[in-house]
Amino acid sequence: MTGDLPLQGQALVLGHDVNTDELHPSRFFSLDDARVRSGFLQAVPGRRGEAIEGHRIVVAGRNFGIGSSRETGARVFVLSGVQAVVAESYGRIFERNVMNLGLPAFVCPGIHGKVEEGEALSIDLQTRVLITTKGTYPLQSVDPYQQALVDAGGLMAWLGLSDGASS
Amino acid sequence: LSYTSRILARCRVEDGPEGSAYFWAEPDLLLGHEATVALLLDRLEAAGLSVRHPERCLFAADHFVPPATSERAGILRRYLDWLDTQGLDRSHVFQGISHQIMLEDRRLQPGMFVAGADSHTTMAGALGAAAAGFGSTDMLVAFGLGRVAVRVPEVIKLAFVGDLPRDRGIGTRDLALSMMSRFGQSGLGYRSLEVCDRTTTGLDMAVRASFANQGVDAGAKFCVWWPDHVTSEFIRARDGVSPDPSQWNVPEEGFGEPDVEVDVSDLVPLVARPPDPSDVVPVGQVAGTPIHQAFVGSCAGGRLEDIAEAAEVLQGRQVATGVRLVITPASRAVYLAALRAGHVETLVAAGAQVTDSSCGACGGIDKGLLGPGEVCVSTSNRNFRGRMGDPDALVYLASARTAAASALMGRLTDPREVSQ
Repeated sequence: MTGDLPLQGQALVLGHDVNTDELHPSRFFSLDDARVRSGFLQAVPGRRGEAIEGHRIVVAGRNFGIGSSRETGARVFVLSGVQAVVAESYGRIFERNVMNLGLPAFVCPGIHGKVEEGEALSIDLQTRVLITTKGTYPLQSVDPYQQALVDAGGLMAWLGLSDGASS
Repeated sequence: LSYTSRILARCRVEDGPEGSAYFWAEPDLLLGHEATVALLLDRLEAAGLSVRHPERCLFAADHFVPPATSERAGILRRYLDWLDTQGLDRSHVFQGISHQIMLEDRRLQPGMFVAGADSHTTMAGALGAAAAGFGSTDMLVAFGLGRVAVRVPEVIKLAFVGDLPRDRGIGTRDLALSMMSRFGQSGLGYRSLEVCDRTTTGLDMAVRASFANQGVDAGAKFCVWWPDHVTSEFIRARDGVSPDPSQWNVPEEGFGEPDVEVDVSDLVPLVARPPDPSDVVPVGQVAGTPIHQAFVGSCAGGRLEDIAEAAEVLQGRQVATGVRLVITPASRAVYLAALRAGHVETLVAAGAQVTDSSCGACGGIDKGLLGPGEVCVSTSNRNFRGRMGDPDALVYLASARTAAASALMGRLTDPREVSQ
């Protein structure tokens, strides 16, 4: 990810306290990417069997991704074409996992309920705002360590290590 | 300085990027199991890394044991072969659930920093360790380079006073459930919960382990029980030698004033209603709800003390017809102790199905999954939608005493109603 281009995508809206068992049930745990991808959101109410296509920006409420440390629960976001995650707050391990894989995770207080499913969104990385069709919302600054991970494309790349799983 | 910050300061080896709160720390112990470690075998190889400090590692096999599908058998095989070709210690595989065998491992001592490839790694905090779960990429770096990036969390100090009313139907799991009720799913977010036991008779290690285990589900990064005489006694029984408290690195000024003081004397038997582990109410409020399965197991509620609670309730009785009672001891050592104590015979005679030690039903993996619309009362730590099988199944979290009483009656039951 370069720091200049805005991130763009259609909104994929989730609620408060969405846990990893909902985001990616353990029965989809696998070493096979296709199998992992097929489990995306499969226990989120109202989203079972839904195919997620195209570039998406996930917008969620507080405590997003609580629960398991299974990294397949974060990797499925990368495999599904998610460009960025925006939430009011995160489960600690999930937030680390997402950024360790190079996917930006932003904190945006009060964003829950402000974005509609499918709405065109962009994130201006220079001014650190989420731009929706109805307004702009400031994103909290991230720690320099987390920023370095996202800029490098993940923890392995930042450490200068080649990564067999990069995608 | 908090106990947590002293532990991390001792392990600090290098600063993070300029202006960052993160720094690199070397964990004293690293925990891995086949499900999360399997994800990083190819990546370790691609990065040209091998395990830097094998003597600091505990490699368990607990998720796919024994494997229920051929794919899982393949994952387990790769992991075991990798341990073998790397010359790593395989003596812990098949010994039980990783968090329980960490507690049983003589290397785990108060004041240690532990990083584990599983969220419930916090359980090692029962012994006074700062222990946290991490995902595969963090663990890859932890195994390969011996370090992990951390920041010092804010600390909440909690002191328990009073005395646990064991004679009033309280089980080992009830204190953990009361904590979920108090803090909610995010109340401890990113923080370290430091706990001091000032109760009259002392809370045993099973209560502490169950509590520290559950801490992550209230958002805690660490859940550190300040080591005391209960800790010393546990270590003495485990290791055959008394520990030296001067090695524990506890702050000289002592625990001091707590942020929160909780009197445990008023505790009543609790359940967490699905699908939120912090939606906690007295069992009485949901009593009568029909159940299809009761599960006594997992790293949260499968210790000898939990199995003993179930055996005590079911001694000489029969589980309600058609109700599955699944017992999964947390480790081989727990299983053997339960056999020797006669609990397994009591439970099997009562109609229980006893499984080998693994993560099993709790993780929705095998040996007791739920179908659509089924209701389960479980001593495990999570009742999320889909956690134990079908997304439309319902899981109530409770103590083993409550789970056994409910299995006996075929409906959610306050254990005080069936005490014998």
